[in-house]
Amino acid sequence: MVLADAFIQGILMGFLFALISLGLTIIFGVMDIVNFAHGEFLMLGMYTAYCLSISLGVDPLVTLPLCGAVGALLGLVSYYGLVRYLLRGPMVAQLLGTFGLMLFLRYLAVFLWGIDYRMIKKGLLVGKSLTIGPFHLDMTKVVCALLSLVAFTVVSWIIFKTRVGKALRATSINREAASYMGIKTERMNALAWAMGGITVGIAGGLLANFYYIYPMVGLLFVMIAFATVALGGFGSIKGAFFAGILIGILETVFPIIGHLLKTSIIGPHYKMTIVYLAYFLVVVFRPRGLFGWEQ
Amino acid sequence: MGAIREAFDFSDFPLVERIGFGIFCLFLLAFPWLGMDSFGMAVMIQFLLFSLFGMGWNTIGGYGGQVELGKAQYVGIGAYTVAVLMVRWDIPYWFSMPLGVLIALGYSFLIGYPLFRLKGHYFAIATIATSLVLQDIFINWNFVGAAKGIELPIKGNTFLYMQFTNDTYYYYFILAYFLAGVLYMNWFRKSKLGYQLRMIKIDEEAAESLGIDARWCKIKAYAIASAFVAVGGSFIAVYNLYIDPESVMHLELSIMIALMAMLGGAASLWGPIIGAAILVPLDRYLGSWLGGHKELMGVDFMIYAAIIMFIAAFEPRGIWGIVERYRGRRT
Amino acid sequence: MKKGLFLSLLVLAVAMGLLMGPFAGGVAAKAKEIKIGVIYPLSGAFAAAGRDLRNGAELALDVLNNRYAELGISIAKWEGIPSLKGAKIKLIFADHRGEPGRGADLAKRLIMDEKVVGLMGCYHSSVTKTVSAVAERYGVPMINGSSTSPVLTKRGFKWFWRTTPHDETFTKDLFEFLKGLTEGKVRGVKAVPKEEIKRIAYACENTEWGSSVAKVIEQMAKEYGFDVVKGILYSAKSPDLTTESQALVAAKPDCMLFASYISDAILFVRTLKSMKASPKVVWGQDAGFEIPDFRATLGKDVHGILTRTVFIPKVVKVKKAAGKINALFKKRYGTDLTGASGRAFVALQTWAHVLNAAGSTDPKAIQKAANELFIPAKELIMPWGGVKFDKTGQNVLGTGLIGQYQAKGGKVELEIVYPFDLATADMVYPFTTWK
Repeated sequence: MVLADAFIQGILMGFLFALISLGLTIIFGVMDIVNFAHGEFLMLGMYTAYCLSISLGVDPLVTLPLCGAVGALLGLVSYYGLVRYLLRGPMVAQLLGTFGLMLFLRYLAVFLWGIDYRMIKKGLLVGKSLTIGPFHLDMTKVVCALLSLVAFTVVSWIIFKTRVGKALRATSINREAASYMGIKTERMNALAWAMGGITVGIAGGLLANFYYIYPMVGLLFVMIAFATVALGGFGSIKGAFFAGILIGILETVFPIIGHLLKTSIIGPHYKMTIVYLAYFLVVVFRPRGLFGWEQ
Repeated sequence: MGAIREAFDFSDFPLVERIGFGIFCLFLLAFPWLGMDSFGMAVMIQFLLFSLFGMGWNTIGGYGGQVELGKAQYVGIGAYTVAVLMVRWDIPYWFSMPLGVLIALGYSFLIGYPLFRLKGHYFAIATIATSLVLQDIFINWNFVGAAKGIELPIKGNTFLYMQFTNDTYYYYFILAYFLAGVLYMNWFRKSKLGYQLRMIKIDEEAAESLGIDARWCKIKAYAIASAFVAVGGSFIAVYNLYIDPESVMHLELSIMIALMAMLGGAASLWGPIIGAAILVPLDRYLGSWLGGHKELMGVDFMIYAAIIMFIAAFEPRGIWGIVERYRGRRT
Repeated sequence: MKKGLFLSLLVLAVAMGLLMGPFAGGVAAKAKEIKIGVIYPLSGAFAAAGRDLRNGAELALDVLNNRYAELGISIAKWEGIPSLKGAKIKLIFADHRGEPGRGADLAKRLIMDEKVVGLMGCYHSSVTKTVSAVAERYGVPMINGSSTSPVLTKRGFKWFWRTTPHDETFTKDLFEFLKGLTEGKVRGVKAVPKEEIKRIAYACENTEWGSSVAKVIEQMAKEYGFDVVKGILYSAKSPDLTTESQALVAAKPDCMLFASYISDAILFVRTLKSMKASPKVVWGQDAGFEIPDFRATLGKDVHGILTRTVFIPKVVKVKKAAGKINALFKKRYGTDLTGASGRAFVALQTWAHVLNAAGSTDPKAIQKAANELFIPAKELIMPWGGVKFDKTGQNVLGTGLIGQYQAKGGKVELEIVYPFDLATADMVYPFTTWK
């Protein structure tokens, strides 16, 4: 019973983790770059939802498209303003650059909004929970899971079924060959950043419905997003989806097992440990992650 | 003997750099007598410490080209070995420090072996993961004080336990480590392993076809890096006299170590030193000036971040790369 | 080529500027000024608490250095330190960001470079540990107003005094309160059979502070005959607390006890509410449960939650001085005084009394004055018996309060429920807000 509950809660969290990781894996897939500032994009998405719903007085759900737009803008600005230049350098410089971007955005938020905790108090979903039989589920998480599914479907459709998607994939497989074929790789990169920004902006807008909003909030999620993307295989969309859910389940079910066995060795204090350990073990035996591409 | 001569042999550097480094060493030796305030002294100690960390990271991260983001776990191992042995069994620093280094070496081989099956980003994230796992274990391990951390007993001035009431002693203590580190790195970059690593960095397959065991080379370099960092960790234990997992094993510490070396210029002898010389004072002075102003909250970090982005975007080889580019074009 | 040159020059200039800057400054200190170094977490993850602490200290400073006769406490009439010919105190703030190493470096800066007479701070017990060790090494007095780890005053330090009660006292208060609940001593609640509140579950964050609270809870529960059915140590930096909440709910406790910082406290309330948890008593150990953000963010969801604290605005009903100072604080900073700002106020006030009694800035004189100090209860905004230090430097007259959030109309108020004789409202029992 408790286990079943944990399982369901875990899957819901998993959908959220997957949604947050989606943007990271798109960007990585197209241009081999890990965006350290991803969590800060999420944070800014949350602030967008907060500011709009306070100043316009509308439901935070209505602001989701705007959060996506802000995310896209952020992605494009980061790409044209910084990442374009980073691409010339080695991996080390790319990490350094996006790490700088992360610090910059985080403290920009501190400067603009101060260090107060904020929370959206009114809204269709805020504070509601859904009761199915014996299970109480947070309404926002349920909506989040649905939207996560929609986002994955849409992104997969774009990438695998449309012309633009083909161009994106071509760019990610071989940049030079793609540019000989007449694909404007520069534009494809920008598109990847915009798509990454949209998905994470929407994730932020949703998260704002049940999470506190705070300049440092990105760090909490970005580590999980890294583990998710790496576990699933960098650049793999399917991988991010399943790895997200796997991590969600691991993170919630593992400590409950300790509870059921009545031992204190296994417990919530190790729940992140188990996620990282799982990642470590998986990649040691499958160095490309669960669904990563063989090169 | 040959190795020692190699370590002291800086003759392949241009004259300017040799003179520059000589002056810098004299400056470091004379620093406590220059009438600097004690905050300046504390900042200098941090600078030397982070240079030591950065030089260690440089073996695997710079010469080996592996983006390693988990050095904090070795800071923790070095610091905790000294602290736990001193608190529990009253064992002097000079016995516990080498032991800490040995443990760090052993541990680095243990996890280095599986770790170096991985490449690129998978490797980078995996190093973060192992460091976080070890931190979690320390947070929950009562024997080492768990999350509460360990307070070292205050012993007064003693060389046996390396505790002093005056920072000048600590300064020369870390300076000695720093100079030893520079000499070691000077030898390392000319050693067989050093050349092998650089070859692996340029083209791993070509290196392997020449009979170099790439994985084994990386593991060795990783172990050397870990030993360096563990020595620095042992210094933190006797310098701060209080350690907890949060302050010595935190992810941000790992990133800072890599950041400084990368910013200064990876794979060069001077890079990590330059990186630390810029970032440590920047961090401490900006923090202590702006930290007191309510309305400017966050501005110090924004300046800091802007500098990092600027350098990453315009000279990926770091600050040393800028110097070399300038010089290369002139001659 | 030009760009490279320009860049290297720029970097060099920045580096030089930063290295040389500190030499260039050095304005000569004005005479008749007593410098106190204050080390708080002014930026970083705990900046909200830092701002609150700073406001409290700055208000106390203003009250001391200027005349506010209507407040009715001694320092308001002094306009400086009387025994030092009206010398003013100057506070020098430093930001430790929650890092013990940084705190120690700042303490050295304040002591050696700024030549402060004494130190104050640091909120985080871990930072207080390293900072007080530096103060001890240099023989500089330090008064701590808000770190509650019991070990801090058990180290035999000669230069460290703490005005706030520590976690043992606070946790004892809780169990006294629960005992009182079974005996019908709580205002507005009939005696509750002990069986009804016997099962206790706690969740404490897993750093220094939380884990020591957990230990004290275990120990006190045994003494008072309660059953701990579940104990959780968790990381405050976790992105979600679903599992932790589930484990708590699954244990079916009557009382849920928390030692949480602000972000995790908010998350716990949200998550437990979505799970419709139904404990009868919910109690938080200060910190996250007491910061204004907690109430402001969660609104009515906190109705019925108990928090241990040292200051509640309702104290004004029983303490006159507190009312006037709280009004002044609210006018200036927009919020009521809290445990953090109130204790920062008291810490600086204690410094003023110590300096006045010492009549000198000589460390030995200050040490002697601090050891013999007595500040009567009527001087304080805290509902304490006064300030008097024992041999370890701990204030023995400090006591805690337990408050309860009660939603009345559109507003959420914090009412006092313990000590029983100070109670300002009937207690809401049992807790039903999340059902």
